[in-house]
Amino acid sequence: MDLLAQVVANGVLLGGLYAVMALGLALVWGVLNIVNLAHGAFIMLGGYAAWHLYRLAGIDPFAGLPIVAIVMFAAGYAIQRGLLNLVVRAPMFNTLLITFGLEVVFTYCAQLAFSADFRTINPPYAGSNVALGPVTLPVARLAAFAVALALTVGMWLFLLHTRLGRAIRATAQNLVAARLYGVAPRHLYAVTFGLGVALAGMSGALYGTVSQVNPYIGATLTAKSFAISIIGGLDSPLGVIVGGLFLGIVESLTTLYVGPTYADVASFGILVLVLIVRPSGLLGRTA
Amino acid sequence: MSAPPAQRADAPQTPDKPQAPDKPPTWRRVAAIVVFAALAAVPWLGSDVLVQFGINALLLAVLAQAWNVIGGYAGYASFGNSVFYGLGAYGVGIAMVQWHLPFAVGLALGAAIAVVFALTLGWAVLRLRGHYFAIATLGVAQVMAAIVSNVELAGRNVGLVLPPLNDDRLFYWLALALLAAATLSVAWLTRSRFGFGLIAIRENEEGAAVMGVHTTLYKALAFAIAAFFSALAGGIHAYWITFLDPESAFDISLNVRMIIMAVFGGPGTVLGPIVGALSLSAISELLSSEVTNIAGLFFGVVVVAAVVLMPRGLADAVRGVRLHGWGYFARNVKAHRL
Repeated sequence: MDLLAQVVANGVLLGGLYAVMALGLALVWGVLNIVNLAHGAFIMLGGYAAWHLYRLAGIDPFAGLPIVAIVMFAAGYAIQRGLLNLVVRAPMFNTLLITFGLEVVFTYCAQLAFSADFRTINPPYAGSNVALGPVTLPVARLAAFAVALALTVGMWLFLLHTRLGRAIRATAQNLVAARLYGVAPRHLYAVTFGLGVALAGMSGALYGTVSQVNPYIGATLTAKSFAISIIGGLDSPLGVIVGGLFLGIVESLTTLYVGPTYADVASFGILVLVLIVRPSGLLGRTA
Repeated sequence: MSAPPAQRADAPQTPDKPQAPDKPPTWRRVAAIVVFAALAAVPWLGSDVLVQFGINALLLAVLAQAWNVIGGYAGYASFGNSVFYGLGAYGVGIAMVQWHLPFAVGLALGAAIAVVFALTLGWAVLRLRGHYFAIATLGVAQVMAAIVSNVELAGRNVGLVLPPLNDDRLFYWLALALLAAATLSVAWLTRSRFGFGLIAIRENEEGAAVMGVHTTLYKALAFAIAAFFSALAGGIHAYWITFLDPESAFDISLNVRMIIMAVFGGPGTVLGPIVGALSLSAISELLSSEVTNIAGLFFGVVVVAAVVLMPRGLADAVRGVRLHGWGYFARNVKAHRL
């Protein structure tokens, strides 16, 4: 029973991180109708940014989050404004391909700049744990989980209650109508993509403190973000939290009771089943 | 979807040069035979390296052409075609290693498994549209490697080692024959009721259904045709390499490559995927021998540039530049701008 509790706790902590990973992808997909295949590469770049901040300037990965966010936001804004806005109205296939091309470019650049070695951000508290009844929780994972939840809820409140958030939601619903009410779509699309990339970068920084970063982690993380977005639906950040927790717990349980090689089978098997049974997500509105 | 306008897909009916409406099929047929003969002569004339490059490039062209049927004509962006390739490879591997059957039986076995799998999977996922179909097939592709690496018969994650056959010429001709068969099938498609049905589904699925196209059946058949040719390519590749493991047999990046090649050349055209596959293979081969490090980087840049500058593929770009000059590219950049 203790073992089960520990496994579920691990799954929950992992799931919180998954949620914030998927959040940026779901935001860009829901608003811009771009499935960003480079999303995982942005997560990877965020991880490297935090690693360098820690190694070169001694900035704690959690304290460095705002810096990572600002840099990644600027990069995302520029990419959308200068490149993706050119193809955003093209058939969905072209946007898939162009973001795939970006993924390849980022992965290769990362490999040239950072080498293929695995990197982990190791702050002093990396090895410490807190005991909570029968369950032991690593401090770094707990902190990453808390930050991830805060980011996700913060994003939700931002979308619901700020002027910019309302503009983003309005654009997602109807671009023409939003335009008539004074939304400047080129700028707004770039802001949305920038937010998505900033979220990816921050989740990468968190990922780097609890796991390992190398140039090739992007594709798998993109696929997991997809799965979470589908399971949770694209309507609200809260769905992403549910999707992330669900995937994290399922992966932990599968790893323990079935075998580590089946963890991906379980998550993507669930993805395919959800798509077939309920294409708008477990929590999503039916279209 | 990634649709070229409908009138381009049935090129023989609407030729480029209006003044000679009946000529193109004849000279095209002659040109096709000449090119085929030239390609068939490569093993006698070229070096071993060229033949080995040729086998790879031709098999990739088969994959791109197979993807063209479901992705280019029916407009369903499948990310699951690498599964068919892997099943074909494992069909050959299991038949030859575990059951000591001849290569041809293995090919047939792999193709049969892939077609059955395509029909079963298609029944479930071909109801999904757009991104959802793409992601469902991607999900299937993700799990296949993990599933196969737990199957005893398939050698688990160690893989299978096939009996070697050092005859590159034979593999080259097999690959060429397969490409010819796939291309003739697609050429037939563009003239047949079935092909028009697929194009109608791509352009407007509800409209096609209203006009009496049995959309479920047509889509499933297109998926099965793609599976058939992909599986044969996988089987030939497995016997040529004499080794297969789950990681390389169900490699998702292979699926992405076939899509890029088809889209680069021109999806929904007969020759586009071949041109795309051969030209991109040649480019990356040249680059990786000259500048190893940036070959992959270049590939990414080409993809990004191609989507912006020639979103309907190389075939359309050549025609567009001939008709409109270099302004063709500027028009493409402006066409889908926000």
